[in-house]
Amino acid sequence: MVTTATPTKVKGSGKSASAQQKIQELRDLYADAPELSRKALENVLQELTDQVAQTPPPPVESAGRAGSRLGKVSELTLIVPLAPGGAKRLRTFLRLLGGNLNGADKVGTVHDMRFVFLDNDTKLLFATAYDGDWDAYIDDFATRIPDYLDVLNAGWEGWPGIRSPEAKDYLAKHQVTAEGWYVANDLTVAETRRLKQIGKAVDELLDKIA
Amino acid sequence: MLSVTESVGETVSTGVPTLDLHEIQATVLRQRPAPYFGTHVVLRINDPRAGRAFLRRLTPYVDSAAGWRIAANAWLAVAISYTGLEALGVPTESLQSFPEAFRVGMAARAAELHDEGVNDPTNWTPPFGTGQIHIGVSAFSDSEEKRRRALAIARDQYEGFSGVTVLSTQDFGAQPGDLNPLGYKDGIDQPAIEGSGEEPLPGQGPLIKAGEFILGYPGESGVPLPMPSPDILGRNGTYIGLRKYQTRVGAFNRFLRENGRTEEERELVAAKLVGRWRSGAPLTLAPNVDNPALGADPRRNNDFNYANDPHGRQVPFGSHIRRMNPRDTELSRLTDVNIHRLIRRGTTYGPPYDPNAVSEADDEVPHGAYFLFISAKAMATMEFLQREWVNDGNFIGAGDERDPIVGLQKQEATFTIPRDPVRRRIHGIDTFNVLRGGEYFFMPSLTALSWLGNLE
Repeated sequence: MVTTATPTKVKGSGKSASAQQKIQELRDLYADAPELSRKALENVLQELTDQVAQTPPPPVESAGRAGSRLGKVSELTLIVPLAPGGAKRLRTFLRLLGGNLNGADKVGTVHDMRFVFLDNDTKLLFATAYDGDWDAYIDDFATRIPDYLDVLNAGWEGWPGIRSPEAKDYLAKHQVTAEGWYVANDLTVAETRRLKQIGKAVDELLDKIA
Repeated sequence: MLSVTESVGETVSTGVPTLDLHEIQATVLRQRPAPYFGTHVVLRINDPRAGRAFLRRLTPYVDSAAGWRIAANAWLAVAISYTGLEALGVPTESLQSFPEAFRVGMAARAAELHDEGVNDPTNWTPPFGTGQIHIGVSAFSDSEEKRRRALAIARDQYEGFSGVTVLSTQDFGAQPGDLNPLGYKDGIDQPAIEGSGEEPLPGQGPLIKAGEFILGYPGESGVPLPMPSPDILGRNGTYIGLRKYQTRVGAFNRFLRENGRTEEERELVAAKLVGRWRSGAPLTLAPNVDNPALGADPRRNNDFNYANDPHGRQVPFGSHIRRMNPRDTELSRLTDVNIHRLIRRGTTYGPPYDPNAVSEADDEVPHGAYFLFISAKAMATMEFLQREWVNDGNFIGAGDERDPIVGLQKQEATFTIPRDPVRRRIHGIDTFNVLRGGEYFFMPSLTALSWLGNLE
């Protein structure tokens, strides 16, 4: 039988260092930390050592061009400079929707999104968890929902527009890859919706036969 | 719009073309004839000067898409890989204007293409994956005699030239009934391209903006796709990808026998995998038994959508044709089906499909397809297809199931056939087509070929 293993692109360079070495490195770095942090580290050190020595957790992979991915779910964190008046535009737009972008339901790959204004409205932090690889559906956004994206991004300094061939480069340039990434449910949005439906159907069936 | 049907059954129309058909290579628009005969020749350039001299000699014989509807004559096509452009001495600035996936080549994009395990480039057959493939020349024709003549013309241009070396020569076609390596009529569903002068066949779908397939024209988003520079090199060119598959016909036949007790049951399973019967008749229009007359009729064999099959009980969501063109299927992800289409030119090699081949030795008989695909963003589209539509099932709510025909199956893989009241889930589906090589090529316009041949 011809089969393949799940692909794993292991990130980082920690592979070569032993667990002991990594723990020691951490202790060295905490040596000049405030006392409460030092003590806290000592308190959890044994547990941490055991954890690191045991089988390593599933590796966080690259989501493609930028960002981290664990299993099926990837993270995207952007820090974008805002043009003068940009924050006001975006804030007014978001408030029009009560801060809720449930129109994004139809995208089908987005788990969550947050928009946070930073540094006196001069920057925007945009963070999202989504399914799959970095750029799989960006072209689809450009033909299916270009106007919504360009309205949302209207305040971004230098945004070339979602239809522009430079749009992906712009996003990659402002993306900051998360160093830590935790995903509780290794389920896509599509799988979660399906399980919800199945759960409901099972309950209805049980109600009927009870 | 007036239309007539040719003897080969192809629709010909008098729609007014708006593309530069005299510039675009014939293969981009001209369908594979039926029957078809051809040869792929792969060459290495040893010396830039000789490589350019070869191109100058060959270019007059490369056919344009003008009169592309007349498939009666043999034609030659030429395409150049990134390393080939380098070997021809294309200026650095121009080389750097090509997309990254093209520059590094198909083998280097294995991770993005999910070409792993048996499909990993380390398992490819030379010259694939060696970086030595510089130029691909293909002859297409509707008879063996014409194929030989067209190939002789090409050969006259490279034989005796020390500057170019033939790395491989592969004949294709000549299967009874033009069936593919698994015994199906294929190549039926092609995208309809705006401005080609083609009147779409019934069911071919909306006209797609030419810029999705040919450089220099607006694409579906309204703007042209990025084009290599200078303009004379990029315009009216496109990208053509090649993937060489070895068909494991024994594994396929064993799978059918394990999952169907009678010939009828086996053929129904075979049809469910593809979404069409072997004749090409779509399950949507012939849900219970094959209808060869329907399969043979180009005005009827693609004239359907999935409006009346929302649960996949006729055509399973996971079947090959529903994955590769979901048409109006409600997908779980916001998708524009029109921007993920490819012009496909499947070319079968090796002995015809044998339904009685069931041994593991049969899996290794050289036999399969050189799958050619054309698009102005062929690299991005193939990566999307491999990741989203071939080697995943989430977009159709099928979890991690994969395409039953071209997918790379994991252990304990399943294939779900929706049925009323309870779906059938087949366990242990194997990989039926193994990748043995692949490369990306740029297919220049005729003017660009002259430009390349006359570089200083």
